[in-house]
Amino acid sequence: MSDCVDLPPVSGGIPVWIEGGRVHIDVRGLEPPGPLVAILELIERPETGDAPGKTVDVRLHRDPVFLYPELTERGWSWERLPASEGEVRLRLVKDSDAREI
Amino acid sequence: MKFPGEILLGAQSQLLPPSVPYRFFMAAVVFHAASWATIIFAADEVADFNGGPGLVPAAVHALTLGVFAMTVMGALFQLLPVATGRMLRAVWPCKLVSWLYIPGVALLVYGFAIGHHHFMAAGAILTILAFLVFGFLMADVLSRTKGEMKLLVLHGWGALAALLGLTALGIAMIANQEHGFLPADVNFRLAHMIIATFGFMGMLVVGYSQILIPIFALAQAPDEGRGVKAFVLFAAVLGLTLGAVFTGNGALLTFAAAAGVGVAGFHVWTMIQVVRRGMRKNLGLSFVLIKTAWTLLPISLALGVLASTGFLGDRGAVLFIFLSLYGWLLTFLLGVLQRIIPFLAAMNASKEGQTPPRLSELAEERPLKVHAVCHFTALALISYGIVFAHELVIMAGGLAGLSGALAYLWFMLGVLRRMKNFQAREKT
Repeated sequence: MSDCVDLPPVSGGIPVWIEGGRVHIDVRGLEPPGPLVAILELIERPETGDAPGKTVDVRLHRDPVFLYPELTERGWSWERLPASEGEVRLRLVKDSDAREI
Repeated sequence: MKFPGEILLGAQSQLLPPSVPYRFFMAAVVFHAASWATIIFAADEVADFNGGPGLVPAAVHALTLGVFAMTVMGALFQLLPVATGRMLRAVWPCKLVSWLYIPGVALLVYGFAIGHHHFMAAGAILTILAFLVFGFLMADVLSRTKGEMKLLVLHGWGALAALLGLTALGIAMIANQEHGFLPADVNFRLAHMIIATFGFMGMLVVGYSQILIPIFALAQAPDEGRGVKAFVLFAAVLGLTLGAVFTGNGALLTFAAAAGVGVAGFHVWTMIQVVRRGMRKNLGLSFVLIKTAWTLLPISLALGVLASTGFLGDRGAVLFIFLSLYGWLLTFLLGVLQRIIPFLAAMNASKEGQTPPRLSELAEERPLKVHAVCHFTALALISYGIVFAHELVIMAGGLAGLSGALAYLWFMLGVLRRMKNFQAREKT
């Protein structure tokens, strides 16, 4: 992981880093609503989520049910990445065309 | 595309079929209207109500069983497994609960309204059976948690213990109407009200607030250690209050009620700190209701302290009960429900892998504004009507409450209609 660069953590000291040109956050082990708050705080940082196409890779230990409507509301979509048992990996992508309300 | 070893567990697979939570929510919204409508017809009995069957207990049970417990069932079946990560083992018991509970409450409320013992007994049996299945399902989920979500789980067990006591007392009180075996010098109605309102519902409200309020406000959860101490204090005060009621110790009851104001104040203070720390600053109309409920909780308990001293007379006790049930609990639950209904609709509207609709696409603000205005008007008018024993004012309050309830029904039907429309659009 030679290209791994640490970024300032989000509230609660949750580590955030850049790896392979993508922002990463690991919220495994946090109880609700910790993962939701940490991820939303990260994508609302101007340096993370302003431009369309920006991505954040997230590692969780549980499917973040409460997160999805919040992502949609903020114009982010997500895709599932392969993950080992007991883990959920998501790639969050800032949409280029926000859906009309 | 599926990957080897991938957890095939999407958000949708953690969700029950939408018909399960929504049948409870829809029934709750209908009983909400029924409760206010019954108050209109019971307006002459409300201010000086002093027990026994009739329209006033019918209105109260339409609210407590029909709205509060109904909402709790719909919400817990869905949210407890999501929050704890422990799934229900099967969906059919949830449907069984609804088949027993919804007609059971209707029969019980009808029995209270017409003063018919057999309707009450039949409704009580169905309601109790539903509570037993519900309690078993919740206990099963709670028992599978391994130290996670400690506050939620502790309050969940507390609520289940209260439900058990409440059910036993309810059976005894209905049987007592026919057979008269309970000691006459114990105020069982007050004990029943305290266990139901502050035991069962209070535990659930405090426990679930630890997770729902931070989710709504986008804030970190409150400190767990302090929450555990508050839970112990809360349980102790409840026990003390019930001890005072069963022993008929007025001084102890006043002391316990005063301690209850302190415990409630601490809960409200904790929640306000959560909201202040939250990332979401525009909390919307739901938080107008929730914050009003937080204000009314200590106020209603303080009225309970004064009522326990006899300082306010019999109407003080009625006002305490009205503000606890319709002021604090109903206002809080309706505030929470208006957030949960569109959220679940958003998640149920889309299939796995599809983008759900925005919450703002599903929830219409206008009926909620109408509801809020009518609800607050109803609270003010009926409180005034109770204090001054003014039948027409209470009737007007009931009408305002009914109008608000119909607006809430309009909101709910609107969300469901938009969810169906979205699903139909996604299919084409």
